[in-house]
Amino acid sequence: MKPPVGTTAFLVISLIGACGCRQNAEPRKVDPLLAAYDSEPDWNDSQKVVPLNYEQAQGKRIFYQQCVWCHADATPAGPSNRSNLNPVPPLLNDGSILNGESYEYLQNIISLGGGAVGKSAMMPPYGRVLAEEEIRSVIAFTRAIAQPPYQPSSRPGSQYSTK
Amino acid sequence: MPAEEMGKLTNRMRLTLAVSSLVFLAVLAISPIKDWRREWKLYKRSYLRFAQSRPDTKRLIADYSPSIDQIWLPDMNVTDRCTTCHQGITQPTLRDASVPQPFEAHRSIPHNVRDWGCTPCHRGQGPATEVAEAHESTLAWEQPILSIHFIQASCGTCHLSDLPQTPQLTRGRQLLASLNCQGCHKLPGIEMPAMRGPELSSIGTKVTREWIYKWLKEPRTVLDKDGNVTVNGYETGEEPRMPKFRLTEDELLNLSAFLGGQKAQPPTLYTISPAVVARWSKNPELTSQGELRFRQMFCSTCHSLAVTRAGETKLIGGDIGPELTKVGSKVNPAWLVAWLRDPESYLPHTSMPRYGWSDEDLYKVTQYIETKLVDPDLLASVPKLDSPTEEQIQSGRRLFLEKGCASCHAIAGVNPQKDFGPDLSGLGRKNASELEFGTAKIPHNLVAYIQAKLEDPIAVNLAARMPQYNWNQADLDAVTTALLSMKGALPTSALQKLVVPRKEAVFRPTGAFAEVYERYKCYTCHKFNGYGGDLAPELTYEGSRAQHQWLVDFLKSPQTLRPTLILRMPQLNMSDNDAATLADYISMVLQNPAINPVKPDANEFSPAMAALGQQLYEVKYQCQSCHTIGGTGGYVGPNLNNAGRWLTAAWIEAWLKDPQALVPDTIEPRRNFTDQEIKALTAYLMTLQAGIAPQKSATASRVGTARGVSP
Repeated sequence: MKPPVGTTAFLVISLIGACGCRQNAEPRKVDPLLAAYDSEPDWNDSQKVVPLNYEQAQGKRIFYQQCVWCHADATPAGPSNRSNLNPVPPLLNDGSILNGESYEYLQNIISLGGGAVGKSAMMPPYGRVLAEEEIRSVIAFTRAIAQPPYQPSSRPGSQYSTK
Repeated sequence: MPAEEMGKLTNRMRLTLAVSSLVFLAVLAISPIKDWRREWKLYKRSYLRFAQSRPDTKRLIADYSPSIDQIWLPDMNVTDRCTTCHQGITQPTLRDASVPQPFEAHRSIPHNVRDWGCTPCHRGQGPATEVAEAHESTLAWEQPILSIHFIQASCGTCHLSDLPQTPQLTRGRQLLASLNCQGCHKLPGIEMPAMRGPELSSIGTKVTREWIYKWLKEPRTVLDKDGNVTVNGYETGEEPRMPKFRLTEDELLNLSAFLGGQKAQPPTLYTISPAVVARWSKNPELTSQGELRFRQMFCSTCHSLAVTRAGETKLIGGDIGPELTKVGSKVNPAWLVAWLRDPESYLPHTSMPRYGWSDEDLYKVTQYIETKLVDPDLLASVPKLDSPTEEQIQSGRRLFLEKGCASCHAIAGVNPQKDFGPDLSGLGRKNASELEFGTAKIPHNLVAYIQAKLEDPIAVNLAARMPQYNWNQADLDAVTTALLSMKGALPTSALQKLVVPRKEAVFRPTGAFAEVYERYKCYTCHKFNGYGGDLAPELTYEGSRAQHQWLVDFLKSPQTLRPTLILRMPQLNMSDNDAATLADYISMVLQNPAINPVKPDANEFSPAMAALGQQLYEVKYQCQSCHTIGGTGGYVGPNLNNAGRWLTAAWIEAWLKDPQALVPDTIEPRRNFTDQEIKALTAYLMTLQAGIAPQKSATASRVGTARGVSP
C-alpha cells in the first residue's frame, strides 16, 4: 500500500488555507456628520459644525424651545432677551463659565432655579416642566457646544461609583 | 499480497497510520481553534477584559454570558444577535462616549432594547454574527445599517403622527406636503390640501402669456448676485413651491399659449370710485401712503419682499402666500383690484382673507404695488410672442397633461392622469437590487439613490418626468428621512398594531361665525381644536383666556402683545358686526372645561392683595425678566400692561397653577406657587389696565350677561 502522502499534503494545505480564509473587513470611513444624529454650528466659528448624538440633539431641541431666549444672542424670533437682563445670563456655550460647574450644580440650577443655588432669581425653575431626562440632555448639549471645549475630569468619579 | 502476510503490520503501514493519525489530530485541533477565533468570540473576550478595567466590574461580569445572545421577538419578526457583540447596550454605566464600541450603552430612548430589538430601527441583518454581514449588505442580505443621520425615519415608520423628538422627520413630511409631492406620488400619511398648486382656470385674466413663458422657464424671480436669497437668516435656494421643468423652446411656446388663453371664470371686476382716483392720482404721497397701508395691514405676515442690504439679498416676511417683490410686473391691474376685494371669487380654496377695503386704501395699495413692486427687466429675456395658433394651444393642452402640470393645477375641463408618478408608499423598504441606478456614479444603496434622484431627477433615469427642485442639504436630508420612513404595510400584525396614526383634526363651525371665520381665514394662522396653521396662538380656549370687550377691540385693531414679533396679525379692517360675531362665538364656545367662566367677585381682590402680588412679581419671582409692564421688563413673554383688561381672572389663576395644562408647549415655567400667592398675583395682574383706551362701539356685545360671560 502506497503512503497517501499526496492526499495528506492536500488535506493539510487545504486546512491551513481554510484557516486563512477569514478576511478582516476594512474599517469603514465614516463621515462624523453623517454618523451624527444632528449637528449644531459652532457659535464662535460659523465654519465649524459640532456633531450631536441622540441625547445632545434632544438637548438642542429643548434649548431652542425653552432656554434660547436668554442664553443666546439671537433667537428664532429675532432679538434676544439676554441684553435686557441684569445680571447678564451666560451664553450656553460659554465654557469659561459653565465648564467649571459640575453636572449636579447645573441640574440643580435648571430644576430649582437660580434663587435656589444663590444666583439670580431671574432664572426660573424648570423642574416641574422638564423631566430629569430632558434636563440631562440639555446639560449634554451644553457640554457639546462649549467653547473652550468641555473636558470631563480625567478620573470620572461619582458617575461611575458602584454605590 | 501473500495470505500469510495478511494481518501483519509492516513498518510502512505503521508509518502511514502514524502520519494519518497526526493529520487527523491536527484536523481535530483546527476546528476548535477556528471556533475559538470566531469574530463574535473575540468581542466576547475583549468585553471581559474591558469589564475588568471598569470600576463596576462585578456587576458587568454578572450580566456576562459567553454564548451568542439573541433577542427573539417572533411577533415582530425580530431575531437580533446584535447584543452578542454590543454587550454593554443596556448597562447604564457604559452610556458614555469614552466607552469603546461595540460596548457603549444605548442612549436612553423611549423604547427598551430587550422589548424592541435592534433591526426594527437600525435595519441591518439581525441573525448575522459577523461585523460585515450584520452591518453591510451582502448578496443574500440586502438591508444595510441605516445611518444615524437618517434614523428618525425608523420612528416615522410607526409614528405617523409627529413627534417632538424627531424634528428632521417632521420637517421632511412638511416639505413633502408643502411641495405637493402627493400631487404625482402616492405618499401615505402626507397631508393633501384641497388645492395643491393654484387653480389655473382663469390664469389668462391674471398674467400675460409672456409672464407664463418666463415663469415656466425659470420659476424664480428674486435672486442676489450669487443666485441665492436668505430667508429668515438661513441661506436657501429661495425655494419656490413651483419646481423647474425641463421644457424645450417649443414646449414653452405651446404651454404658454394654452395657459394664456384660460379665462373660464374671470373675477368680478371692480371700478374704484372716480372721486377717489381724482383726489389721489396726482398726489405725490400716493405710493408712499400705499406702502404705509401695505405695512400697517401686515401683508408681510404672509407675503415676503426681497430686501438688499450690503450686497446681501434677504426675503423679509412670511411664506404663507407668494413672495411679492416683483408682483407689479406680473399681474394685470384690473385683476389685482378684483383679487384684493374678493380673493375667493378667483380662487375658491385660497388662504387669503377677504379684507374690508375702503376705495381709498384699495387705490393706494394697488398703486403702490403697480409702481414700486416692479422690475422692468423681468420679461426682458422673453422673445416676442405673437397671438397663439390653434395648433399651439392644442399642443399646450396635451403638454399640460403629459408633463404632470394637471396633477397640481386644476383647470376646469382638464382631467389629470391618475397616479402620474410612481407609488412611493413602500420606497423606504426597497433593496438596492430593486432600484434603477442607470449610469449614475453613486454608491448602490437606497439613501444614495433617493438623494441623487431628488437632487437631479434625470441622474438615475434619463426619461424621468420629475421636475427639478432646489434643495439645501438640511432639507434634502429631511425629505430623505421622510421617504425612508415609508415602508408600506408592515410585515406582521404585531407591528401593524404598533402604528400610531396621525390625528385628523377637524373644526367645522356653523352659522354666522362660520361665515366670518371663512371670510377672514382665521385657520390659516390659528389652530382651533388642533385644526389650522401654527403661525399664531392656538385659539381653542381663547374664550376662557380673553375678556369679551378686549376681543372686540383686538379684532378691530390688532395690537401685538409680544414686542419682538415680526409677523403680526393683519389689520383686517373688520366691521363692528364681524368683530362682534367672532368675539361672541369665541367667548361662548371656545371655553376650557376646567376654567370657571363666571366672573369672580370683584371684591375678592383687595388692594392689599394686589400689593402683595406686586411684591411677588417684582422681588420673589422676578417675572419682569420675561414680561414687560410699563415699558420695562423682558421680551420673552407677552406684555402685561393691559393684563387686567385682556385676561380673565379665572384664566390667570389656572395658568399660574399649571400653564402646560392649558397650553402644552408654552415656555412659561410651571412654578410652585401657593394658593395664596396665586390669588395675590392674580389680584395684581387684574389691576394692570394701562393699555390704550378701549374703543367704545355700539355693537360691542350681543352676549347676554346671563350666560356668565364677562362683557
